[in-house]
Amino acid sequence: MSTATLIIQKVPLFGRMFNVDTKNGLEDINSWPALITMTSFVWLVIAALLGLLMPVIQYYGLNTNLFYTSLTLHGAAMAFPFAFQLMVGVSLHRAGGCLGKKANGPLVALFYICMNVGALLLTLAVLGGFKVTYTVMFPLPVVGVQTGQWSMEMLILGFSGIALVLISMIFLYPIQVLRMLFFSEKHENLVLSPRTLKDPGMLGMLIAVLILLITGLPLMSVATPILLALYGILPMSMVTWAVEPVVFQFVFYIFAHNLMEAMAIMIVSAVYGTLPLYLADGTRKLYSDKLANAALWILLVTSLTSFFHHFYTMFPALPSTFSYHGNIMSWGTGLGGAFTIFTILATIWKHGVRPEPGMIMILAGFVIYVLDGVTAMVVANVALSFHLHGTMWTGGHAMTVLLAMSLMWMGVLYHHYPVITGRSLDAGRGKSSIKYYFFGGVGLMYAFMAGGASGMPRRIANWTEGGYMFIGILILIFGLMLAYGIILYLANLSKSSEISLD
Amino acid sequence: MLDFIYTDGWGAFAVMLFFQIPFLFFFIRIVYRKAYKNTGASETDPQKYPLLEGIWIATVVALFVLVNVLSVVYMPPVTTAAMIKKGGDFQEVNVTARSWFYEISNREYEVGRPVIFSAKSVDTVHGFAVYHPDGRILFTMMLMPGLEEASTLVHTFTEPGEYKVRCLEYCGIVHHGMQDVLIVR
Repeated sequence: MSTATLIIQKVPLFGRMFNVDTKNGLEDINSWPALITMTSFVWLVIAALLGLLMPVIQYYGLNTNLFYTSLTLHGAAMAFPFAFQLMVGVSLHRAGGCLGKKANGPLVALFYICMNVGALLLTLAVLGGFKVTYTVMFPLPVVGVQTGQWSMEMLILGFSGIALVLISMIFLYPIQVLRMLFFSEKHENLVLSPRTLKDPGMLGMLIAVLILLITGLPLMSVATPILLALYGILPMSMVTWAVEPVVFQFVFYIFAHNLMEAMAIMIVSAVYGTLPLYLADGTRKLYSDKLANAALWILLVTSLTSFFHHFYTMFPALPSTFSYHGNIMSWGTGLGGAFTIFTILATIWKHGVRPEPGMIMILAGFVIYVLDGVTAMVVANVALSFHLHGTMWTGGHAMTVLLAMSLMWMGVLYHHYPVITGRSLDAGRGKSSIKYYFFGGVGLMYAFMAGGASGMPRRIANWTEGGYMFIGILILIFGLMLAYGIILYLANLSKSSEISLD
Repeated sequence: MLDFIYTDGWGAFAVMLFFQIPFLFFFIRIVYRKAYKNTGASETDPQKYPLLEGIWIATVVALFVLVNVLSVVYMPPVTTAAMIKKGGDFQEVNVTARSWFYEISNREYEVGRPVIFSAKSVDTVHGFAVYHPDGRILFTMMLMPGLEEASTLVHTFTEPGEYKVRCLEYCGIVHHGMQDVLIVR
């Protein structure tokens, strides 16, 4: 029995949900992905509780520091150890089953350790006073020390945590996927649904990990000397170039923006891989592989340089030509989205679709993903950005895209769950969870967008003073609905039954 | 109409709905129909799909181009560059942002006289957002420290009143308190 399986079995509550089937001979593609996925849901519970805490803190006018602590932890937990880690867990199982390659080994274990130890260190630093939001807002971490907002020790602890998380996302996961795609040994007994790189369901995986690796390298090149200087290994005079705010901010957003795009390409690819399995007439083909692949390439090419939209309002420090370029490229990603919409709808129209919970989750997540894509395009228009940037609109966009991608991955997990655990899920409970998650997520999105449209700043601890508490109450109501959907999903995993007994 | 769309947050909200509502309608309708009503293979002539694909992509491209082309004259970089080139009687205002307040060279302006805001940050990333008295954002600027060039924007106030200024970039534990007021007479 593998180490990962043993760990899962020892974890209370969540261990029951992800206990791997050790009799089907698939532990090599199941155990580590199951452990990674299980841990992502532990982080989701933490993130969800913190998310609900924020409007409550505002409503009762509690300490503003508590709000900023929740804000930083909620964002960090939601984006990295939950959403990203969920993607890694499910995608590694998927890659293993499609390629017949083992999804375990030192790299996978190291990913798991770096991601979760890193997230824990960051959590400790935030609890110790380090409140920089999940976007870091450099040079705020350093300025915070200079102005006495937090200590140098917490800065070093927090940066160490962030560095470990970045190493896991930029190096360990992409290298593991590339290893599985091109190098490691194939085992016929592990092949569940054979695929090649010509298949849109696999091509997106390759594109996504290359984006992570390539756009992450500049950030690591800047972050590493800073960290070494903080440890006292390099003199500060050697890293002055790296601590220039404009240098750090640009390499950060080149990665952070493309991280989201890579995650989107990865899940769109998984949708392309899963949809044909649920077609009503038994056809196991998309409407057009060419159109699906074209969508992935368009998403790749347009997303790479659309990150400029984060800096429009710095004019003229960001020359207007880059603003216009960012505007065009951002709307270009919408074109990739349009190709994807057509591929999915034409496939469903042509062949019909079986409305099973996993598939409905994927389609519901896709709907939220497209709705969110529109909000992203709107704020990426230069004229509109000057009225929306830095408001709840942008915060809502970041949150919604994570919710959408997570729901799609939860659908893909629902599909793979019987193979991983040897247990089946209750369809009724599955459908109920989708309903609450979907309406909670969409409601949250519109509440955030309404907040942004009415000028509500993001990341402020005084909603009441600004007259924005009505939006805050809507956020709480829809947040509770979303949380209930997540609880139902987890309850379904927890109450799953042995397939042989069905 | 276009003024509302491109200079007001709710205009942006309207643009969002303009794209989202048709998508929601068609996507949910098609999926529902093919999942619950008529689940078999479609009888649509296969040769029609490429035509539909072309119409769909052409429509999307046309709408995307239209929305963005119409916005060009409302883009602050465009209007600012045009007004500075044209010249005139500007009020020049220098803004320095630091945690958690603004130093503003002049807080009182005249209605109808263009104001050039040149803003810098001296410590961390801050924002400089000016709110209309009715609560909507007139414009926002991101101020990044260490840049030689100040963030610059020309704005002409058309109504008298008190205009709130807020920081929209998270800048630490008193971020919410970083506010100021401009007077337009």
